[in-house]
Amino acid sequence: MYITKLSLINYRNFANTKLLFSQGINTIIGENASGKTNLFRSIRLLLDSSMRRSSMNLDEKDFHRGLDNWRGHWIIISIEFDEVSHDEAIQALFLHGTGVLEEDAADKASYNLFFRPKETIRNDLAQLDDGDAAGLQAILDNIDIDDYETYVTGKSSADFNDPAVYRRIVGDFDNVQFPEELKPEEIGGKVPPILSMTKEVSFTYVQALRDVVSDFHNNRTNPLLTLLKMKSGEIDQAQFAPIVEQVQSLNSAIETLEDVQTIRQDIKSTVNETVGDAYSPNSISINSDLPDEAEKLFQALKLFIAETDDGHEGEIHEMSLGGANLIYLTLKLLEFKYQKSNQTIANFLLIEEPEAHIHTHIQKSLFDKLKYPNTQVIYTTHSSHISEVSNIENVNVLGKIDGSYTAFQPSAGLTGTQIERVQRYLDAVRSNLLFAKSVILVEGDAEEILIPILIKQVLGISLDELGISLVNIRSTGFENVALLFNENRIKKRCSIITDNDLAYFDTTEQEADSEEIASAKRKALRSQVSGITRKIALDVFCNGNRWVSSYYAPHTFEVDFIAAGNGALTSTISRDVYLDAGIISIAETELKSPEKPIYGKRVLTMANHSGKGWFAILLGKAISHKVVIPSYIIDAIFFAHGNVSLETIHGILQYRLRKIIDDLNQQEIMVNSAQDQEAQWYSDWRAYITTRRMAITIFKAELQAYLPGTVSLQQLKTSMTAKFPEDQIIPFFARF
Amino acid sequence: MPIWKEGDLNDEQIAAIEEDDSVFLVACPGSGKTRTLTYKIAHELSKLESTKKWVVAITYTHRAADEIQNRIEHLGIDTSQLWIGTIHSFCLEWILKPYALYHDALKNGFRVINSFDSEKQITELCQNLTTSSVRYWDCGFHFTTIERVLSGKPRFWADINTILDQYYEILRLNKQIDFELILKYAYELIIQNPSINKILSSLFTHILIDEYQDTKEIQYAIVSAILRSGEGRVKAFVVGDPNQSIYESLGGYAITANDFSALAQINFIEMELSLNYRSSSRIIEYFSHFNAYNTKIYPAGELTNFPSIITFDALVNQDDLLTPLTRILTQSIEVEGISPNEICILAPQWAYLASMTRSLVGALPNYSFDGPGMVPFTRDIDNFWYKLSRIILTEPSPSMYIRRLRWAREILLALNDVNVDIGSLTNKSLLRECNAIDLTEQDGLTYLEQFFNELFNNINIDFRSIPSLFEHHTDFFSSSQDRIERLQEKEATFISDIASFRKVFENRSGITVSTIHGIKGEEYDVVIAYALLEGMVPFFGESEQSAKKSLYVVGSRARKHLHLISERGRMYGRGHRRTEYPPTAILSQCNFNYNA
Repeated sequence: MYITKLSLINYRNFANTKLLFSQGINTIIGENASGKTNLFRSIRLLLDSSMRRSSMNLDEKDFHRGLDNWRGHWIIISIEFDEVSHDEAIQALFLHGTGVLEEDAADKASYNLFFRPKETIRNDLAQLDDGDAAGLQAILDNIDIDDYETYVTGKSSADFNDPAVYRRIVGDFDNVQFPEELKPEEIGGKVPPILSMTKEVSFTYVQALRDVVSDFHNNRTNPLLTLLKMKSGEIDQAQFAPIVEQVQSLNSAIETLEDVQTIRQDIKSTVNETVGDAYSPNSISINSDLPDEAEKLFQALKLFIAETDDGHEGEIHEMSLGGANLIYLTLKLLEFKYQKSNQTIANFLLIEEPEAHIHTHIQKSLFDKLKYPNTQVIYTTHSSHISEVSNIENVNVLGKIDGSYTAFQPSAGLTGTQIERVQRYLDAVRSNLLFAKSVILVEGDAEEILIPILIKQVLGISLDELGISLVNIRSTGFENVALLFNENRIKKRCSIITDNDLAYFDTTEQEADSEEIASAKRKALRSQVSGITRKIALDVFCNGNRWVSSYYAPHTFEVDFIAAGNGALTSTISRDVYLDAGIISIAETELKSPEKPIYGKRVLTMANHSGKGWFAILLGKAISHKVVIPSYIIDAIFFAHGNVSLETIHGILQYRLRKIIDDLNQQEIMVNSAQDQEAQWYSDWRAYITTRRMAITIFKAELQAYLPGTVSLQQLKTSMTAKFPEDQIIPFFARF
Repeated sequence: MPIWKEGDLNDEQIAAIEEDDSVFLVACPGSGKTRTLTYKIAHELSKLESTKKWVVAITYTHRAADEIQNRIEHLGIDTSQLWIGTIHSFCLEWILKPYALYHDALKNGFRVINSFDSEKQITELCQNLTTSSVRYWDCGFHFTTIERVLSGKPRFWADINTILDQYYEILRLNKQIDFELILKYAYELIIQNPSINKILSSLFTHILIDEYQDTKEIQYAIVSAILRSGEGRVKAFVVGDPNQSIYESLGGYAITANDFSALAQINFIEMELSLNYRSSSRIIEYFSHFNAYNTKIYPAGELTNFPSIITFDALVNQDDLLTPLTRILTQSIEVEGISPNEICILAPQWAYLASMTRSLVGALPNYSFDGPGMVPFTRDIDNFWYKLSRIILTEPSPSMYIRRLRWAREILLALNDVNVDIGSLTNKSLLRECNAIDLTEQDGLTYLEQFFNELFNNINIDFRSIPSLFEHHTDFFSSSQDRIERLQEKEATFISDIASFRKVFENRSGITVSTIHGIKGEEYDVVIAYALLEGMVPFFGESEQSAKKSLYVVGSRARKHLHLISERGRMYGRGHRRTEYPPTAILSQCNFNYNA
């Protein structure tokens, strides 16, 4: 038996979230603060015997903050199970309490926690006339947390993630429509008292480690003691009897030590002397109290471990942190194994961030080998190393959409072949894709190298800071990966940047064409045709999917980079590509040419000459904040990133302003150190610098006033456009 | 290690207990049936290997269940994996509550209506039906697996059906179910969802049925479906005595081992308990005249050779009935020194007992009389407040401790059932809370009301905010009030005192007054039965067989003496058809050397 689904409604940071699980090992991937701990807590509330029963009584703070007003709403935590066989008695008990009966058999079950207003409140809501908003408000205003109850059921087969189901059982707050049925069948049947879920499943939770050593020192949390306690119950009395004997004789040996007896005598006589016989206790003895019960005696046992090869065995606190963590996790796993040998319906092992416990290179082998039968392992991680081990089918990704966290199943609805292909790509790119807030897919090295540089230079922030992961697919097979981004799977934005491969020169064949030219024209035409075909297919693929969009370089990246206005910039690397001064000069001239066929041919010749990757690296070095980013790349970035926050805009503009100041300082130095120029030249420059300084001062003040909101973004844009019309940021204003 | 000591059980009993296969056990009166059942359950509980399996025992009354559980707990056996109760409780706990979702009439919640409310409702409907003279007592019925069977006179059937249809429509609208619907719905659920049988049969190792002879067809069907699903893994232990099958009018009948075996698809080992430890051989010889099934019965007790007096008086007039009764009572108590609580007076119907009890109380002011009719509140085991009253109205004492703890646990389960957060309350702390309350109020109902308020105040639960508890509260007090008023009309003015309330749970101290049906399982030194008249025993329309069984039951209750009276002068019919009831035919025909 295993968990197939966890549904969370209005619970903590989850408004409405569904996680799907498979048999065996499952991964939940999420960045920090995405709610991984909350998620585990919800499962533990229902299944972990070490949780206090009272923790099921939820609290105001457990309601999703996105609810304008929690009053009247329900929190729902629902777990679905599959493959519950009823041949075994233990499973039968489970099915009796929670099983979903079908035609002839039951092998599915559900266990659900509802935190809801008590019946009297629900009855009041049911009495409201449709649309009586004032009446509703009056009832809600009087609700406090004591009006809530926890109700635990089994057997429900309702899909609580469906808002229609929520409206049916809880109500529609907007239109003030509340169900008359106060005991809706959909929520399932109360679990009979003979079934105690926490007793019937074996459940081990390994917390993200904060302080392993103190865990070992605390009797309650020491995993070694837990293991010993589990075993002390089944100790062979015959084997233990001689030990008891020895402990007892040891006790009496200590007690009869001469020094001990002297102390006893001294205590007694001192008491007698001070308070007199009448008030002294009748007898005083000093007893050695070494325990002779297995459980207590075991508490004295400690783990000693030799970490180095010098043979010294030390206590836990002497170990390296990594070593201590490994021991801790091992003991936890053993505890789990011991527990499993009890008769239980199913075994669950929840591990929070194993990367906190153990070194990454051990992780992979650990999870490869962690295969207990009839055991489901669920772990959360933000390590791409571990997620690499897991099959995409067993992965849930926590991500934010519209300000609220929710879970995605990257492989939902995909066919076997599709999953296989995605899996291959994910292995290759180390699953980064699953962690990203948004993604740009590119086809080659040039884009992979240059796009981050372009963004960094122009906007002053990195793609990472924008939350964009750039993934090089190294081919044009974008669909294989892009299909992850979908309404049913990962709801994150994904831009595709690719070349349309249209010919950049006239391909009309001329009589006079040489065989070489004619062949080049035919080749260009062929790739143009295939480029167009590819674009059509990709556009069809993206159509109707609000999460994926593709952007095309009309020709090819290098050509369109120059076309955007970077001819002069590109020309500066001619000397890095060529050695021959003549060719360098020709190349520089051609690259600066306004004629596309001319600079196009040259830049591609250069790129092919040095290899596209190397060429990109050379080009990258030459790129400054003055580079012009081709518009299709800007489009792709802003699709992926979505709305740009106030703070980000502020940061970008500050960066641009700093660059403007730098440039101006450079120019001032240049003017000041210039000799032999005409007076007009100096006065023109000085006038320019003065105006510019003035403009900078004003804009700086405006920018300062922007964050507190005194100056609007529109004012800022207008001002900057007027003052620095040549700046590279101006084309971005349309997106802010 | 056997649970019993040498001499605790006889060979027949041990054989039945130790038999691993399913057992069909015919037990003659006084043969230690309850003892055998008790040890059988204890034996099977101690053999349980899994913590997820249950032994299920179905008894005819809650009292029997309580008694057996008590005995097992006193043997020191853990009863946490024993489920014991009536067939109705069984259906509720194991089928209706867990699987309500799968029945349209139950899925949105339901409430069990008690027999008091049910009677009130049907009575009202009878009165509304002005075109007919049908009364509540004509409306007896029960469900079989295929139909609703009426036990009233055929000429009323059309009217009765109209009334019952209306009655069930009212229940449906109120989401209520009565005891008959519990069985009907349970049967429907398990037939429509075979998974339920499968699951239940995996949870039970044994199903024990006590008093099988009073089991109804639909009840056999429900139990058999589960046994059948167990494919032999679930063992049955069926105990009873076909001779004591006196609930035919309610649909109860003694199935044969073969029929049960065919129905449940299990194999039975047929066994008998034939040693009667209760009565003298003379008593046994007498009631054996009414043995319709040729079951074995041999005297084996200390009283075997006791010189029993068995009389049959068919001459006394009903107006003079008090004379022989007082004579027998004073003779037994004053001369023979028999304790009053070892004497019982029986009649076929309540109507004849109520007035006779009043006359006896007048004639013998020094003796006290106990009859179920003297209970000032409804003993509705499903009512939360009745359950709680059991604790409140009994004194804390070592002998009651285990029982009261169990009752307290039932209270906690009932609270959990209605989703009340009981916090850190345990059965022990609940008992302590109850014991700590000290009230001076003398009126029984007011006492209980104050007690409930104070207790719930102390444990910090507002029961009025929990609809089902509050409904039960209203039910409990209105039906009790009603009952007290009816009893007070019959001059039992003392009945509203708290002392009368407490008496209900005390061991009987006075002379028992009961109907023949109400005496099931009991035994007395002296048994006096009157109104043994054709038309009452057997009732009109019933067979001679049923009269035999009634007489068998009456006779086998007695240890020492048995006095049977078929008084003259009781009349039935109207006008010129007015006729005197003759003595019960098979009693007159019985050829026996009665004492003078």
